[in-house]
Amino acid sequence: MSESTTATLETATRNEATTKTQSTRLSMQQALNRALDEILSADPRTVVFGEDCGQLGGVFRITDGLQAKHGESRVFDTPLAESGILGMSVGLAMAGFHPIPEVQFDGFAYPAINQIVCQIARMNYRSRGKLPMPITLRVPSFGGIRAPEHHGESLEALFAHVPGLKVVSPSDPHDAYHLLKYAASRPDPVIFMEPKSRYWQKGDVDTSDGGTLTGARIVRPGRHLTLVAWGAMVARCMQVAELAAEDGIDVEVLDLRWLKPIDAQALATSVGKTRRAVVVHEAPLTSGLGAEVAQLITQSCFDTLKAPVERVTGFDVPYPSGDLEDEYIPNIDRILLGIQRVLEYRRG
Amino acid sequence: MAEISFPLPDLGEGLIEATVLDWLVSPGDHVERNQPLVELETSKSALELPSPQAGKVIRIHGAPGDTINVGEPLVVFEVPDNTAGIVGTVPKDDVPKRRVRLSAVLDED
Repeated sequence: MSESTTATLETATRNEATTKTQSTRLSMQQALNRALDEILSADPRTVVFGEDCGQLGGVFRITDGLQAKHGESRVFDTPLAESGILGMSVGLAMAGFHPIPEVQFDGFAYPAINQIVCQIARMNYRSRGKLPMPITLRVPSFGGIRAPEHHGESLEALFAHVPGLKVVSPSDPHDAYHLLKYAASRPDPVIFMEPKSRYWQKGDVDTSDGGTLTGARIVRPGRHLTLVAWGAMVARCMQVAELAAEDGIDVEVLDLRWLKPIDAQALATSVGKTRRAVVVHEAPLTSGLGAEVAQLITQSCFDTLKAPVERVTGFDVPYPSGDLEDEYIPNIDRILLGIQRVLEYRRG
Repeated sequence: MAEISFPLPDLGEGLIEATVLDWLVSPGDHVERNQPLVELETSKSALELPSPQAGKVIRIHGAPGDTINVGEPLVVFEVPDNTAGIVGTVPKDDVPKRRVRLSAVLDED
């Protein structure tokens, strides 16, 4: 059985009138597809576009069926030119549209970095609020699918460093559905980083109640140590937490979700309780968001921390292509070793 | 089901053609990504061409001894409609494996 056949999709049931409870079992791909469908239906100013987003329905099927339903003027293919995709988004936003462009893979955001950093992030500021940029840029992100170069990267620190941008990454189908709808409703540009290795795993999506959509979310409560993660690393940290429990260590997993702005209060509350923290990300160590998280924790919890905040991250090398990604992405053992270093730390 | 055609790629530095030596798969076979599909000979070397994707092989082009130009169809795969176009593999949630065990005496002060 091929790995790709496990991706066989179930058509999402859309007959919500017959279901008393609004909870549905969906993959993240289905949840994002449904969210886009509902956004397009609810807001006539929304347009969805990108490479293969129209006729094909996207290389990850996120826009599957949307062109047929909403028409070629609202869901369409673009040339292979990310600078054009994002440049056009600026013009559309100026003209009153709510663009939801897609950069097909994270590594192809680089050709559009001028449009993102110099135009989209600044236009509201530059125009003294006359030209807001309600753009939700969907970026299939991170590694884990054995893709070639440029098809698996971890760019959150680049985006988070740019004033004017907001950055969010869901880790499960429920959050993906609600955070995408929330991001699309915002007046500011949001970089929406979809963990592409998590597109096909299913989870319960309560379409009627998204809960709190700002800030971080405790995925697993624990007493001894806080694992901070986002995107695809949340699922791995949950595995680590279960393994740590076998050794008597009760790990709290905090899904940061929003990477700009970061929920400093959630970090303070969680680590204030556990007094130990390890932050995990796929991006390289140096100047990664782990440093920002460690500083925020140190600022709020310095007096009670048991040990310096550990970072378990990718290495300071270009994100490798598929055959080497298992060596690069933080694995269970590397995260456990990070936890061990924190547990062993003694002052003085 | 959808069909995906895999044309003969440029096997290196502007080569324009390759000769089929031996097919390693047959129509109807299910192949995994990176599984060798065919032995080819170019003007530089003989090589095994790995499959670019997983799927069912439904057609192969060229008998042993035939020459195929770069860009011409080599293999046609059949894939489910809703996975056509997906790039990369779909990761499985494996049972987590570990080698590291935690050992710590927690002073709960």
